[in-house]
Amino acid sequence: MDKLPDPVVYAVPAFILLLIAEMVISLRADKSRYEARDTLTSLMLGTVSQVAGALVGAAVVGMSVWVYQFHLFDIGIAFRQWWWAWILCFFLDDLAYYAFHRSAHRVRWFWASHVIHHSSQHYNLSTALRQTWTGFFSLTFLFRLPLFLIGFPPAMVFFCAGINLIYQFWIHTEAIRRLPRWFEAVMNTPSHHRVHHGVNPRYLDANYAGVFIIWDKMFGSFVAERDDEPVRYGIVKQLGSFNILWAAVHEWVGIAKDVWHAPWKHKLSYMWREPGWSHDGSRATSATIKERWAAGRPAEEPAE
Amino acid sequence: MSLNDLIQLGASLVAVFFVAWLVKRMGLGADPRIQDADHAIRLAEEAEAGFNGIEVARDRAGFSAIVRNAGGRMMLVRAHGNHFAARPVDIEVVGRLDKDFLTLTMPEKTFGSVTLQLGKEAGMWASRMRDLNCG
Repeated sequence: MDKLPDPVVYAVPAFILLLIAEMVISLRADKSRYEARDTLTSLMLGTVSQVAGALVGAAVVGMSVWVYQFHLFDIGIAFRQWWWAWILCFFLDDLAYYAFHRSAHRVRWFWASHVIHHSSQHYNLSTALRQTWTGFFSLTFLFRLPLFLIGFPPAMVFFCAGINLIYQFWIHTEAIRRLPRWFEAVMNTPSHHRVHHGVNPRYLDANYAGVFIIWDKMFGSFVAERDDEPVRYGIVKQLGSFNILWAAVHEWVGIAKDVWHAPWKHKLSYMWREPGWSHDGSRATSATIKERWAAGRPAEEPAE
Repeated sequence: MSLNDLIQLGASLVAVFFVAWLVKRMGLGADPRIQDADHAIRLAEEAEAGFNGIEVARDRAGFSAIVRNAGGRMMLVRAHGNHFAARPVDIEVVGRLDKDFLTLTMPEKTFGSVTLQLGKEAGMWASRMRDLNCG
């Protein structure tokens, strides 16, 4: 397999500098944007995520290479000759990310792995680094496999995925309000991604994009941020704890308990149905939360 | 794991603790308090859409509150970092009354127990908790 550098490794110093810059801005703008224990939790979760990624990295690469042997088209990796393939790969990888990310919010099995990233009630650059420990276990790598089947070399796909991850770092901030209209129309931005991290009923299950917000607009999951409704961040049932281990595994524990106690015919549903689903309807999914919220408010004008 | 990986991990941990220390050193953070009954009701509503709280027992310092709705359901709201977190007060929650103080121990260990200074109201809310067990 061709080898390319991991762009994320080179971006880490910039991540730290931007983090400190955002802290300085928060000092002047709004001190409550940061909290030491929250930041420590986010960064520790990110560090362990890197370790977990390193431990399973060989398996993911091995599987990608195995799938790649069945590829449909021969695509090279040299940028000068295959520049169009690089661009196409970046777009399709972002589409694959959208599919993964939407599933990660709609299927509890994937959510159990992804919930870590949403477990902070803050929205700052440290939140971006709050990453999963159990991505491999939850099989999230499956979403990228079609790219290898098409014929994009694994090294190209992983490089594009790294760039995608780097792009998503800087959008985790309240320091940037809105960007030029043309940029907001095409790209994922801090404003769009704030909505994604919101627990306000209006904002639940929206804006799954990685780099290009066009996917949300195409597939009907786009919601614009409103100036009259500030985003409240976190998860529907806030953790209320800075326990790192609990943040990483609480949903897996929840699944295990539910599957154990559920009647046989409902056991699998506690894994593949949406978060909040229960066989007796005693819990609230995002759809029921939205319904309750909509029932209790007057009709209103759409957002600009 | 290679030596290089271990060095990288060590450097990451140093950076992590440095940044967290810096957040504290810079004085970032907040001291969130529940201002009044309306604030407590709003927080309960944010935690559970459609909760519709009607009555509040607010801790004197504003660190926490119990909100009750017309159906008799109760919700505990407490400060967490710069924000708030809430949990329903149901049959699994253990309540302990000590004069003006009511301590609620949640079944979820990571959420912990919360002591509210409620003054004379403490007894009434403790009795409401006992009613949950009887009901």
